[in-house]
Amino acid sequence: MSTPSVSEHELLATPAHTRRRILTDRLAQWLLLLPFVAVLVPLGDMIYWISERALPTMSWSVLTENQIGNSGGLHAMIIGTLTLIALSTAIATAVGILAGLYTAEYASPRVAQIGRTAGNVLAGIPAIVLGYFGYFLLVLYTGWGFTVLGGAITLSVLMVPFIYRTSDLAFSAVPATHREAALALGSRRIQYLGRVAFPIALPTILTGIILAMALGLGETAPLIYTAGWSSTPLTGLFSQTSFLTGAIWLFYQQPAGLGTLLALAFQAAFMIMMIVIVVNVALQWVAEHYRRRLRGLLS
Amino acid sequence: MSAVDIPVGSGPTVMATRGLGVRTSSRAILEDITLDFPDRMTTAIIGPSGCGKTTLIRTLNRMTELSPGLSIEGEVLYRGQNIYDPAVSPVIVRQKIGMVFQRPVVFPMTVYENVAFGLRIAKFDEETLHERVIESIQRAALWDQVGDDLYRPALELSGGQQQRLCIARALAVQPRVLLLDEPTASLDPQAAKSVESLITELDKSLCVIIVTHNLLQATRVADRTAFLYEGRLVEVGPTEELFERPKERLTEEYITGRFG
Repeated sequence: MSTPSVSEHELLATPAHTRRRILTDRLAQWLLLLPFVAVLVPLGDMIYWISERALPTMSWSVLTENQIGNSGGLHAMIIGTLTLIALSTAIATAVGILAGLYTAEYASPRVAQIGRTAGNVLAGIPAIVLGYFGYFLLVLYTGWGFTVLGGAITLSVLMVPFIYRTSDLAFSAVPATHREAALALGSRRIQYLGRVAFPIALPTILTGIILAMALGLGETAPLIYTAGWSSTPLTGLFSQTSFLTGAIWLFYQQPAGLGTLLALAFQAAFMIMMIVIVVNVALQWVAEHYRRRLRGLLS
Repeated sequence: MSAVDIPVGSGPTVMATRGLGVRTSSRAILEDITLDFPDRMTTAIIGPSGCGKTTLIRTLNRMTELSPGLSIEGEVLYRGQNIYDPAVSPVIVRQKIGMVFQRPVVFPMTVYENVAFGLRIAKFDEETLHERVIESIQRAALWDQVGDDLYRPALELSGGQQQRLCIARALAVQPRVLLLDEPTASLDPQAAKSVESLITELDKSLCVIIVTHNLLQATRVADRTAFLYEGRLVEVGPTEELFERPKERLTEEYITGRFG
């Protein structure tokens, strides 16, 4: 029996159709890069477009001064946006997590289905409709007038479906064996949920919160009808407030002669972008950190 | 097969079932099971897949309640008290009657916190809790392997160690009865052996009830064995007797491997 020469070795001979397949594979890989880039380009372009117009005139006074007439800064709007987002996130997180918990753990399959459908419908309601709803309920009906609180509550209605959905998913994904094991030790259901299920579900819930916050930060319509407007910082939950998205909307429409206001509009856009990026990175870091800690424990 | 079995050996009966039946809306899973489980002894429940042995062990601490659509008839007695009495809380039942499952289920916590879990929810003070955790880990023959670092993640342990951790966690609550549902089914032979030798240690102080599809395991760990077939109790007796001189033809056919 003679040893085959190297070129004849079965592992080295590549038939034509296999070669074709390898080529197709590489081509597919490059073609798929295009839509991937298409996702990144608009974002990059927007960051550039906004930064180019916001940064040349950026100064500390933009952060620290109130807007007076055609000049001044975004102090009141920054405080307003941060307050609105903090309040609405707190409300939406509490409601969303508890509702998701109920849907995943306590509700009958039928009730759970109703809840999930309702959540999806709520997520699809146009922001402007929510704004009007908030106006009638929280501005007129309550007699509060335009308030920070009314704005935050309206905004939280917009955010809650996303936190609700991810919480439901996260709690549903906890293996049933964990529940049995906990209950077999004499645990009550609520103890199991708090001590075992919640820590496992938390990283997923955090991603829902990130999504909801990014969404809430960018909204204008629900706030226009509920939060009012004020060029000085808010003084309490029931005072009116201005907010960054409102500043963009308002200042961008000004006559071309008022260049300073146009610059403020871009600076407001820049601020929002920064807040979204910081919130995203921070919460993702927390989620990842926590996930890693859990993985050490969860495998 | 007598209606009320007379326990062999010393211990008095801790658990018993009387005319126990479990059914879904369409069919009976268990019918008329009357069995005694003596103290300080291991009772094995054997039978082919689908005979209802897992359902039986799950009725013994009311875990069946977690699967909706099952109805229970007859009685399950723990020291003379029917555990399905409306006045009895399942939480208390499960503290007295612990359970370990087929696959080790460790929580994403440290070794220490896993064992402490049942004690924390029962609101034990730190000092007692600490003593109990240490004691339980020792009783579960796990101290040599984890004693040097109780604060490492429990999921770093091997499968056999995890299962013994689950046993330690169950023991920490100080149950009188320990239910084991095929506790070695997911373990390699070496790990299975370590769990088996632990069982023979534990039944010196506890009533142990084990479901197993491994007949050799039953002969190794169980003082008494009950054979279930199609939801009915066919035969129960001292393990040696049941395996060497079965009274029922079905039992003989099963243990000699003619079916199942």
